[in-house]
Amino acid sequence: MKLAYLVLENKEVFEADSLNFIEGCGEVVFNTSHSGYEEIATDPSYFNQIVVMTSPMQGNYGSHPEQWESDKIYIKGFICLKMQNSDRDKHFLNQLSQSQVGVFENIDTRQLVFKLREWGTVLGAMVLASSKQEAIEKSLIQFEKYKNQNQDVDWVYKVSTPEIMIEPGENTSGPKVVVIDFGSKKNILKEVKKLSSEVVIVPSRTPYESILSYQPKAIILTNGPGDPADVKMVTQTLSHLIGQVPIFGVCMGHQILALALGGKTYKLKFGHRGANHPIEDLILKKIYVASHNHGYAVAKESLPQGVQVTHINLNDQTVAGIYNKEKKYLSVQFHPESCPGPHEARQLFEYFFKEMVT
Amino acid sequence: MIKNKNDELMINDVKKILIIGSGPIVIGQACEFDYSGTQACKVLRQKGYQVILVNSNPATIMTDPELADRVYIEPLEPEYIEKIIQIERPDSIMATLGGQTALNLGLALHKQGILTKYNVRLLGSSPETIELAEDREKFRDLLDTIGASYPQSFMVRTFEQAMAVPQQLGLPLILRPNFTLGGGGGGIAYSLEEYQTMIARALNESPTSEVLVEQSILGWYEYELEVMRDKAGTSVVVCSIENIDPCGVHTGDSITVAPQQTLSDYEYQLMRDEAFKIAEKVGLQTGGANVQFAVHPESRKRVVIEMNPRVSRSSALASKATGFPIAKIAALLAVGYTLDKITNEITGTTPSCYEPALDYVVTKIPKFAFEKFVGTRDILGTAMKSVGEVMCIGRTMQESLMKALCALEADAEGIPDVFFQVDFLTYPNSQRVFHLFQAFRHHFSIDQVYDWTGIHRYFLEQIKEIVDFETIIKQSPDLTHEILLKAKRYGLSDARIAKLRSSSEDRIFKNRQALNVHPGFEQVDTCAGEFASETPYYYSSYWSSRRVAPQLSRSLAILGSGPNRIGQGIEFDYSCVRASFAAKKNGYSVIMCNSNPETVSTDYDTSDALFFEPLTVEHINEVFLFVNPEGFVAQFGGQTPIKLLFPLVARGWKNKGSSGHTVALAEDRTLFADLCDKMGFLIPPSGIAGYLEEGLNVAQKIGYPLIARPSFVLGGRRMEVLENEEELKSYFHRHFDVISEAQPCYLDYFLEGALELDVDLVSDGETVLIGGIMEHIESTGVHSGDSMAVLPPQRIKPDSLEKIKDISIRLSKALDVKGLLNIQFALKNDQIYIIEANPRSSRTIPFISKALQRPLVDWAVQAILGHSIKPFEKELENTNPFICVKGVVFPFRKFADADSVLSPEMKSTGESMGRAMHFSEALMKAMISSHIKLPHSGEIFFSLRDKDKQEMLDVAKSLIKMGYVLSATTGTAKFFNEHGVTTLALKKVHEGRPHCVDRIRSGEIKFVVNTTRGRKAITDGFLIRRACIELNIPCLTKTETVQAFLMALDSLKSNTFQVAPL
Repeated sequence: MKLAYLVLENKEVFEADSLNFIEGCGEVVFNTSHSGYEEIATDPSYFNQIVVMTSPMQGNYGSHPEQWESDKIYIKGFICLKMQNSDRDKHFLNQLSQSQVGVFENIDTRQLVFKLREWGTVLGAMVLASSKQEAIEKSLIQFEKYKNQNQDVDWVYKVSTPEIMIEPGENTSGPKVVVIDFGSKKNILKEVKKLSSEVVIVPSRTPYESILSYQPKAIILTNGPGDPADVKMVTQTLSHLIGQVPIFGVCMGHQILALALGGKTYKLKFGHRGANHPIEDLILKKIYVASHNHGYAVAKESLPQGVQVTHINLNDQTVAGIYNKEKKYLSVQFHPESCPGPHEARQLFEYFFKEMVT
Repeated sequence: MIKNKNDELMINDVKKILIIGSGPIVIGQACEFDYSGTQACKVLRQKGYQVILVNSNPATIMTDPELADRVYIEPLEPEYIEKIIQIERPDSIMATLGGQTALNLGLALHKQGILTKYNVRLLGSSPETIELAEDREKFRDLLDTIGASYPQSFMVRTFEQAMAVPQQLGLPLILRPNFTLGGGGGGIAYSLEEYQTMIARALNESPTSEVLVEQSILGWYEYELEVMRDKAGTSVVVCSIENIDPCGVHTGDSITVAPQQTLSDYEYQLMRDEAFKIAEKVGLQTGGANVQFAVHPESRKRVVIEMNPRVSRSSALASKATGFPIAKIAALLAVGYTLDKITNEITGTTPSCYEPALDYVVTKIPKFAFEKFVGTRDILGTAMKSVGEVMCIGRTMQESLMKALCALEADAEGIPDVFFQVDFLTYPNSQRVFHLFQAFRHHFSIDQVYDWTGIHRYFLEQIKEIVDFETIIKQSPDLTHEILLKAKRYGLSDARIAKLRSSSEDRIFKNRQALNVHPGFEQVDTCAGEFASETPYYYSSYWSSRRVAPQLSRSLAILGSGPNRIGQGIEFDYSCVRASFAAKKNGYSVIMCNSNPETVSTDYDTSDALFFEPLTVEHINEVFLFVNPEGFVAQFGGQTPIKLLFPLVARGWKNKGSSGHTVALAEDRTLFADLCDKMGFLIPPSGIAGYLEEGLNVAQKIGYPLIARPSFVLGGRRMEVLENEEELKSYFHRHFDVISEAQPCYLDYFLEGALELDVDLVSDGETVLIGGIMEHIESTGVHSGDSMAVLPPQRIKPDSLEKIKDISIRLSKALDVKGLLNIQFALKNDQIYIIEANPRSSRTIPFISKALQRPLVDWAVQAILGHSIKPFEKELENTNPFICVKGVVFPFRKFADADSVLSPEMKSTGESMGRAMHFSEALMKAMISSHIKLPHSGEIFFSLRDKDKQEMLDVAKSLIKMGYVLSATTGTAKFFNEHGVTTLALKKVHEGRPHCVDRIRSGEIKFVVNTTRGRKAITDGFLIRRACIELNIPCLTKTETVQAFLMALDSLKSNTFQVAPL
């Protein structure tokens, strides 16, 4: 009989039960949200990642495709202590299986989180094998394959829209907006549409001339997967747009904006993923809890003069947002569009459109 | 509303704060408010504020002199608080930590202008906020403004208005009286007849005569959010809680889990937004609040049920469930801190403006006491009836639920087989959860059980899965490692597995040991492991492989008292907490084990390591295997740990303090009688009987009246006084199920009219210190927990007291007591009888400690740790001029059809202390604090048995002299009138209308004296007493209580009283 193992790159092995006998390899990250497994699984930012949910019981409330953050499941694997799997309701499990996403349960996720916290984010392979030894051997092949496939790959380009899409907004008197898509969550588009008359969604490698040809009143940079330093072309594109058009960035958008401004990004030891991180917001003059999902952050000391740090993650004092009044840009590391997670930061969209877009 | 800038300024003025406690323990308001008050006192003093504390409940930790700068044990009434304000001149009052009692008191102080007069402000919630949240009509207007939904309802103020509602909203209807505790007086009316009776009671129960009659949301799913908000408006949800029992059962009576399990993130976030909006609109300036919601199972429509702008019972649960100390932080927010400036103590590095992430599931199960209230049906509704609760933590919902079921201490199996009845599922009741399991054992489908109960199928699936696994355990040829581990992960106890395998608990344990199946221990860290945490707050789980024990030198485990129940409550938590502090002072690391989330003992900073575990042999043994304590102490938590003493010693753990031998000697009636004989101590003549004939023989030998009780009793369960043969026969007939030759019934001669005394002492084996002697006000026949009492004794001759002390000392030596000993004496015709002795902490320990300012528990800890207590002997010489009276609080109003006549079976939930220089003033204060309405004038009604008439004549005369008018049943009136006391004669109920009960119900009568005994007379007086309970009129059933009441009235009439700090 085949047993299920999660093998980490540093040879740590966790035994588990596989619920769909699907294998997978990717970066292992953990998320501390109590709810929101569907939004997480369909968030393109989790592209290629194996997500460990710290909340032990998952799939409890079934599946609601209307709440998905994209049209498909992006995660590579899903790990929890116990998955809802009854005759009445195994919808979420089924959806993961249909998308060829491996699901492991019966794994001491807390111990796994401790290890991830200790070593930082590592590669992991979810494999089926008849012994631990076999599992390790299998995983070595997978790691090799993964690395070959993902060397210097621009993930953002992979998940970005392949073609330009023009969609109507809900506010007829609002501005026309270009969204540079790095793998956007639906809710960013939803929030933007509420406030604009027309939304032009463009691929990440769209040249600035083409963007300007739409005569946008604002540019939105979305979330997206992977290392911001691997993203090709966008920083150059942005250098032509900063100061020309008001820019609002979210997560990957924030990181790329910082890079375009001359700043640097670095990999956090184990990232911020959850719905409970406190943010001090000097723009809205509030402290609130926000939804987080990022493995990289902007290095504060790398930011050139004129870039104001307006948002701080109060847990570790990392940069959570930057702003410049004259050059009209604002970007945040967390997710003001929420989903999953709290709504308090949604006001930032309104602030940007009201105060920074003319 | 106060502007931010002013706010800053105001807050800086705060220097001296008066904290109001919640008074005696009642249903709906228990020791969770001792926990919150204690936390607040500690943190505010740490921050340099002066803290004055007032509470009428002496059984609390918060009233310990060390906790505040000044402690007042006084009635929680505006005039008393005003006096305290006069003396102390605090600049602020904190009324948000003492439950509804403190909140209402804060509001009263505001309305009577006392706050303005002394320039004192309310911290946390303003009077407007309190009113807004509590006044349902205003609250609904507020919900309209934010677009929140609520069940359709009408506020009615008269019976006529009320009768119009059913036509518009249909039945069933929910009744919610305004401004009552724990939904008191409310309920669900299914029929028009029911509605009529209930609305009358509800109108009466509300102090403002307002009742909200509400459309039923029975069967909707119920959720609760615990919100914290600071003055800057930063808000967080500390914890979401989901009720397993759908709407229709009071949330205090529901089994609940945290965090919520069945809402999608989309639904949850909308609910969270609404909770914040409500907190903001209500004007919650700072602190904690809880908002309750209901969600329709299919349409998913959401309605708001209610909001409390204060720390609540759920806050205590949420604090323990998450590690986020709500009360402590609420106190800091109230004096002007903001959440981002308060460090999360558990991680030690991150701020408090976050929301705890849980990587486990918490289950709370209420503990009920229906068996105590004969005549009351075990049915749950919107008025809370549970007397306590347990909480347990597991990695899955199943594990936490099953641990909590074990923690109830009802059955070691946790989920014993029960005789299945559908009724137990269709009507919510205290036994429903056991029948849920049983239903699946009988192969009923989830859909079928859902139809019966309305419980979310998700939860039913969890239960069914456990039951399905029971079959696998039963049928598998061997208990393999895999099966055992799985069974333990489902939370099945060793005892249950033993039952399924026809084995013994011990053998299953040995199996586990052989296969190395032990739980891991995880920490409650507020962050799901995201940050490192050193806080030693642990729970066990078989899903965990982690066994990193805390580094503790010289560790001593203290076993707590588990869920509050009648007879074992906060008094024992007091002892455990004191013991923990004392042992720490002695250089020991304390390991606290308890399952009660309401307590101070389960605060993570009370001990060096906290284990939130069921108090069962299995679970405590696993804790001990993990931490390997130097020894454990069983004598502070009441009967619960005493029961664990023998099995834990049998598993090789070292008990400290009085040994098992001492316990056996005191508890075994035969051994104890022999010991007393040998020592020359008198005990009431007694015998044992396994069946009726034997009982009749015993009766013949020792004579009537007899006091009867089955072998294994707690809090006087099934204890009765039997006057004659007929009653003896009836007793055996009614209790046949618990009396057998193997478990015989004890029959003691009943010392009628004897005075009773409680002695608490500490012994180290050499030195014996008599801590205090309390005299009961009621004579024998009333359970010691239900009797009022006074310290020092008022009616006992000095030489009798000396004799009692002498006997106590000799008895404690004969029993070889190390630590505490409680002895109950009876005194009749100058003869001293020993009724019983308990080598453990008692209910009276905190009372005596407060009254005489003697740290009895600290002394006991010295003795237990092997130190001499001789040095404390001189402290006994300190005299104290105060007279302290213990008042008692009963829950009769919560139990329709229960009788209020006092008996040997304990029924009270809480106690108060009246403290004064004069006995009468102390009595008055104790009665006021026990919520007895003392009338200044009006009519007093007597219904007496013949033998009391002569004795009551003097009382009647005094009452006339004091300006009251009298009425009585025909016979009593005739007797009084014949003896020159003008008394109006009223018909007894069976003599036709209008009768005395009609008159009571008319509100004409201010209090009632109804002495009675014997089963028949008790039945006759029942309607009188029940009417009194419903109308909240004092009804005194014992002559001694009447005399005490008279003294209290006398003191009341003199219109003078003093307040003084401890």
